[in-house]
Amino acid sequence: MGIERRIIRTTWRYDGCLEPLYEMEDKEDEISVTFDLPRVRKENVEINTTENTVEVIARMSDAVCWERWGGIQKRITFQAFRKQIRLPEPIDPEKASASFKNGVLRINLPKVRRKVFIPIE
Amino acid sequence: MEEVVRIAEEEGVVHKNPIVIEGLPDVGLVGTIAASYIVEKMNYKEIGYIESDLFPPVMVVHEGKLKNPVRIYGNEGVVIVLSEVAIPPGAVYPLTRALADWVKEIGAELVIPITGLPVGNRIDISKPGVFAVGNSEEAVKELEGKQMELLEEGFIAGPYAIMLRECGKRKMNAISLLAQCFPVYPDPGAAASVIESLEKFLKLGIDVKELLERGEEIKLKARDLMRQTALSAPEMQKGVEQDMPIMYR
Repeated sequence: MGIERRIIRTTWRYDGCLEPLYEMEDKEDEISVTFDLPRVRKENVEINTTENTVEVIARMSDAVCWERWGGIQKRITFQAFRKQIRLPEPIDPEKASASFKNGVLRINLPKVRRKVFIPIE
Repeated sequence: MEEVVRIAEEEGVVHKNPIVIEGLPDVGLVGTIAASYIVEKMNYKEIGYIESDLFPPVMVVHEGKLKNPVRIYGNEGVVIVLSEVAIPPGAVYPLTRALADWVKEIGAELVIPITGLPVGNRIDISKPGVFAVGNSEEAVKELEGKQMELLEEGFIAGPYAIMLRECGKRKMNAISLLAQCFPVYPDPGAAASVIESLEKFLKLGIDVKELLERGEEIKLKARDLMRQTALSAPEMQKGVEQDMPIMYR
């Protein structure tokens, strides 16, 4: 991480997007990721996955406006959450599933793993 | 020798055996959210602050005024300790010792650290339950008398756990109220449950309706503190709260 990034490490962006809080759990056969998405409705969530990444774009039902805060961002409005996560292992995007409840999005990403049965001699 | 942690009070503050509520950042920011809401609803005045070289070199500006991020609010009968920054694990012992000394000095009647108890299925729980831990037989009896559900087995970790011990060493009763919560997401619902349970000890008559209505706004504002707090959770040994003790019966 560069020095500038370490100093100006924000969880918001000038394009009106906030970085959501998320939690990733590496289970035996799948990777489970949850995102905390306050002010978001299920129909406004977009999920894109590849074998190695998952991206969430979630539009808020009401924009958030923060005023009188910080040095240069005297007034800033956020309309959405956006986050791309690099996954620790390849997954099968076709088999991914998601659910949304009480503002928390859960995405289950089955791992690409070929199981080989090893007989005991 | 210079004190490691210094607790500074405003001049002229009077205490009459107060109940002390500690709401420091921890899982789900339950204590922080609950303590802030109580301060706001009760219109408590800022009566002091806590500073330490062990805290991050951070101050906070509110309405143009410079403030310490770890502050004390209250009146004669209630004292609330809260923080707007994560407490570094290395500061937990000195901070809790200094706080325990101070609450003894002001003649606190009872100390109540409030926090969360992380649960994996929080998403499926509509109203989080509250568990309690007492630091003495007397404290446990009081909890039983108030029909609180006791945490009977398990590890507890973080500032509240050490505060219970330090108060016990000073012969002071302390009880901790723990609401089921999201581990790493701010949890206003859990904070509301804790406030409702606090009513059994402290008749403040606080309605949590507004807290629940403003839940999403609070979650948005609390993201950065939650992130800071979650980063120190492994060093704080929060993981052991899910472990089974070897002497489990």
